[in-house]
Amino acid sequence: MKHEIRFIINGESRSLTVLSQQTLLEVLREDLGLTSPKHGCSTGECGACSVLLNGEVVNSCMVLAAEVDGADILTVEGLATDDELHPLQKSFIDHHGVQCGYCASGMLISAKALLNRTSRPHEEEIREALVGNLCRCGAYADIIKSIQVASRARR
Amino acid sequence: MKAFDYIRPNSLEEAGRYFAQGKSVKILGGGATLFLQLQNGELAPDIVMDVKDIPGFRDVRYHHNHGLKLGAAVNLQHLVTGLEIRRHYPLLNQTAHQLASPQIRNRATIGGTLAWASPVSELAASMLCYDAVCHTWRPEGARAIPIGELYLGDFKTALGPDELITHVHLPSFPVRTFGVYQRQTVRHDGRRMIAGAAALAVRKHNALTNWRIAVLGVDDRPKRMPEAEALLAGAPAEEDIEQALAAVQDNIHPQDVVYARADYRRTVLDSLLRRSIQAIIDNLQDYNA
Amino acid sequence: MISRKPHVIGKPFPLIEAQRKLTGVTCYAGDEKINPDMLHARILFSERPRARFWLRNLDAARNHPGVVALLTGRDVDGRMGHTVADRKLLAVDEALYAGQPLAVIAAETPEIAAEALALIQVDYEDLPATLSIEESLSPGAPAVHPDFMSYRGAEKLNAEPERNIAHALTFVRGDVDQGFAEADVILERTYTAAHLQHAPMETHGGVAQRQPDGSVTMWMHVQAPFLQRSIIAGALGMSPEKIRIITGCVGGSFGGKVFVSIEALLAAIALHTDGRPVRLLLTREEEFKGVFMAPAMRAHIKMGAKQDGRITAIEATYDWDVGASVDAAIFHLQAVTLAGTGPYAIPNVSVRTNAVYTNLLPAAPLRGLGVAQVHWAIEQHVAELAEILNMTALNLRQWNLVKGGDHLFPNFVMHASGLESCGVLAVDAIGWRPETPRPAEENAADASVRPGVGRGMALGWSPIILSDQCGSSVTIRFDRERLCDVVVDGVDIGQGLYAFVTQVISFELNIPVEWITVEPTDTANYAPDWEASYHNLLWSMGHALLRATGEMKKQILSYVAKVWGEPISNLDIVDGEVVSYASRRKLPLLSLLEEGMGEEKSPPSFSVTATYRPSNVDGSIDSLLQSFASTAYAAEVQVNPETGDLTILQLAAAADVGHALNPESVRAQIKGAMIQSVSFTLLEEMVFENGVPISTDFMKYPIATTADMPLQLHPIVVEVPQRSGPYGARDLSHHVQVGAAPAIANAIYRAVGVRIRDLPITAQRIYDALQEKRARESAVR
Ligand SMILES: Cc1cc2nc3c(=O)[nH]c(=O)nc-3n(C[C@H](O)[C@H](O)[C@H](O)COP(=O)(O)OP(=O)(O)OC[C@H]3O[C@@H](n4cnc5c(N)ncnc54)[C@H](O)[C@@H]3O)c2cc1C
Ligand code: FES
Ligand code: FES
Repeated sequence: MKHEIRFIINGESRSLTVLSQQTLLEVLREDLGLTSPKHGCSTGECGACSVLLNGEVVNSCMVLAAEVDGADILTVEGLATDDELHPLQKSFIDHHGVQCGYCASGMLISAKALLNRTSRPHEEEIREALVGNLCRCGAYADIIKSIQVASRARR
Repeated sequence: MKAFDYIRPNSLEEAGRYFAQGKSVKILGGGATLFLQLQNGELAPDIVMDVKDIPGFRDVRYHHNHGLKLGAAVNLQHLVTGLEIRRHYPLLNQTAHQLASPQIRNRATIGGTLAWASPVSELAASMLCYDAVCHTWRPEGARAIPIGELYLGDFKTALGPDELITHVHLPSFPVRTFGVYQRQTVRHDGRRMIAGAAALAVRKHNALTNWRIAVLGVDDRPKRMPEAEALLAGAPAEEDIEQALAAVQDNIHPQDVVYARADYRRTVLDSLLRRSIQAIIDNLQDYNA
Repeated sequence: MISRKPHVIGKPFPLIEAQRKLTGVTCYAGDEKINPDMLHARILFSERPRARFWLRNLDAARNHPGVVALLTGRDVDGRMGHTVADRKLLAVDEALYAGQPLAVIAAETPEIAAEALALIQVDYEDLPATLSIEESLSPGAPAVHPDFMSYRGAEKLNAEPERNIAHALTFVRGDVDQGFAEADVILERTYTAAHLQHAPMETHGGVAQRQPDGSVTMWMHVQAPFLQRSIIAGALGMSPEKIRIITGCVGGSFGGKVFVSIEALLAAIALHTDGRPVRLLLTREEEFKGVFMAPAMRAHIKMGAKQDGRITAIEATYDWDVGASVDAAIFHLQAVTLAGTGPYAIPNVSVRTNAVYTNLLPAAPLRGLGVAQVHWAIEQHVAELAEILNMTALNLRQWNLVKGGDHLFPNFVMHASGLESCGVLAVDAIGWRPETPRPAEENAADASVRPGVGRGMALGWSPIILSDQCGSSVTIRFDRERLCDVVVDGVDIGQGLYAFVTQVISFELNIPVEWITVEPTDTANYAPDWEASYHNLLWSMGHALLRATGEMKKQILSYVAKVWGEPISNLDIVDGEVVSYASRRKLPLLSLLEEGMGEEKSPPSFSVTATYRPSNVDGSIDSLLQSFASTAYAAEVQVNPETGDLTILQLAAAADVGHALNPESVRAQIKGAMIQSVSFTLLEEMVFENGVPISTDFMKYPIATTADMPLQLHPIVVEVPQRSGPYGARDLSHHVQVGAAPAIANAIYRAVGVRIRDLPITAQRIYDALQEKRARESAVR
């Protein structure tokens, strides 16, 4: 079954025809060319495909594209403005919050969701906010630090 | 994923019409379990029915006499952030904090989690302690199933194929209710459950009444332990606790799994439960002090 | 771009690629050539460990609408391997392991490919299989490769195929019998380590396209494109120049994307289609089931020591389950043999390592190269020996430690190293002064230590060996269009290679980093027989870079010197300008490249290629050995004595990196290795059921999350320069892994008095050991 959907992606309104069984991840990557959300498992375990759906972090491999009609979605492509990186991106660069980088988009999105809720999270809260994001390179310590520094820099 | 039709009814009646079409229908809550089954081909329904838009399915209502009503499509994250949960159902709140990840909690629903009926469902264990009642609807009408009767073991439920959970109801509890949830898992985010134990009691004067013990990972379904609860009533002494723990051991049937033997799960449960019970007693003493 | 002033080596320097990664711009395997016209490949994998099989219904699959090509082993019957061709491209008639490819298909959509595969019916007739080291080595076991001697390259290995020994290495020094005769105490133990998975977050995959001239171009994010080019060429019977591999950043490899797994199949199927790009991306389940595993180990250690603490002899046997193929694990065998004594100068040594064939998934070395598992055995063994000798493990270690000047191997004399400092600093970081080892009960009485809490440590040494017959090559071009354009033959797998390249060039040529662009690695830039080094790149790439930048500087300066009429020795490059110290003239390099200079006025361009090849290639045990990297771990753990549940309170890792060229990046790598090690030590085990992997997702093969991190991490950088290394640096990538597991095990021993000798350390294993101990103690009473 086909669905006409309209949604806001990274601040821009888009309409699109999708099939019932297509996941949001598939549509973002293959149809919209937004490749920052990554495929890591498609079973909700790794968080590499994380996006913000109406401000909340979700695994886009576990959302049907047809479900997001009317929603507001943010991927890492929409984090930076034309001339400035998002403070989280800057902080991840400065504090080595990235190694191979495959988990990075998901980490940034989880971090963004956390900072939307809590402006100055402490370490324990950051750890909790990231349990759904696997990093095989083990960069967790520096990712946590990057998020901490970014949250302090914000105000 | 195999092709299916995604539909999103706006009323129970509309949902009922799809069931009547003779096609295979699967209900979609948050999809955290359903997607896995669709991806690996275990399920290939004609219709995937999203129930989030059915009126009342996203409602959360609390009344100090009547208790809490949680719509079936309310997500698990609400149990972490909802004020009424944090105030009045702290055990539920504490359990929800440890459930899965923010990504999953933002999607997974109360209805889907209960209908999934996993033997290691932490939500179910906590709901058992609160005497939750599951309200359902099917074309023949509505019914109420106490949560303890919902589970038939091994992922099976008393729900019919065309039966929807509409909401869950939790009676109100006095403010002096204290609950503790403890678990041991292989990975510390909760993956690979060895055993889990929820305990709850109400403080009345210098005693603890209304003991509730629910265990998971040690039987084919999360279970209450009424014998143990009875043994704990009042101000349990050392021997009462030992007897209660022994009663728990008599009433569980853990299975060997790749990562934990049945006998080990028993030991772990014993240790967790001892800690949970002790924490509740300590809390009472702190209060008295 | 990240704007930084020219900086010096040894100062913070952010990863150049980081910004691209963090804005979602970096292209990984799954991001390659997304295009609605492309085809999609899928592989059919065997589901039995060893079986005769028949593929039925192939025509239905072939004729399924949308299927473009289908290949079975009857269509392309090739063997593959780098040293020994002990693998088939596709099984023919007999499958040797569950996960072996039986067929590959290309279709218009991934769904059609999956449907068509499902149409193929596979009938199996099980054959006798061997599924563990024990089974394989027991008399009468079925031979996994009865025809081994007929394989290309078989003669290069020291194999006993009828006994399932794929390759064996030995190292002998002195006379162990004599050594044991002199010993006052002899301790013998067996240790094991489970099969692991590399489990990169990015699964294997890529895109391949047949070119009009019959060659194939592949966009694949692999760690060793040159090695893969030669293996794929061999498997398909093509000449290497017909295969072009273009890589980019790799979303994690850890050794799993070095050797060819599914890549040759992708090339094969692309060659049988209509010239459209073909994409193959493994699902997570396929990644677990159908690529590589890391070998399991069984170690038997016998050590003798004198009462005063001198170790007189060691006899060690390390058996490795390499599954149905040894080809990828050969290198691993050399590393573990060299490291086999642990960092101890023992006069009488006999180390034997056996690669054992089984009917399981082929093995490929994992980060740490097996050296981590060797230390799992040695570093616990030493601690137990110390206790028997009633001395501290640290003292015993210090007594016997290898020292600079020790002539350890025929052609290798030990260099100065930070081994001892690493140990002292790691122990210090967790606030521990190791005293005489005491039973756990007494530990509890120690005011500074809480009940159930214990501390332990382990040292590590790890050989830096360059991959055989190859080195590193760098081309630097300087011209007006691209400014400083760099082509390298190594791949950035997250270790920060491109940043390292940029850093060295910027430093050596004294130019801003913004001028420098490192191109994605492309095999077409090199001769068809070139096989680039794929690990310990800092070493070989560092040397190549120093040569290239030296030559480049000379070219530029001599060009300017000629026009200025000055001797080249007067000139230098400072902050992107050519300056003369004598005439005080200055010329910005940018204007040189834009406008040229002198009479001709046509802007010059410069180009340099430099190559580093290791020189000591002679096939002996220490062939290609450059140095040893030293590490130390210290751990503080808390164990619940009722359940065995374990918490790591503190973990410290010290690594001697020679010279930290980019200290923050080094610390980041160390921390990453620490967390990965915790994951390997406590969580990971690849489980098979009758030879079929059942750890096929991240729930059944859990890897560490933020919830599993030690509460405190202490990364420590130690710098004892390596004279032969670039800038005195040593590589660290593999080596920081070494020592974590035994340090944790030693800490558990001091916490609750039990030794865990099998990896992973699970709570249930600790519990079982505690039960056994209690039973023993009550029997004594
Ligand atoms: C990565 C991951 C981690 C997890 N970690 C944990 C954990 O730590 N602890 C834990 O307890 N669980 C965990 N889970 C399980 C998770 O809690 C359940 O998958 C989830 O709660 C199911 O809810 P859902 O709304 O997504 O259900 P769905 O997947 O949508 O549905 C599940 C089943 O219920 C049926 N259903 C859905 N809604 C209704 C309804 N209203 N009425 C009747 N039937 C319905 C569906 O048809 C389906 O059969 C984890 C899952 C994942 C993927
Ligand atoms: S790809 Fe979505 S969670 Fe892993
Ligand atoms: S940086 Fe490699 S997976 Fe996180």
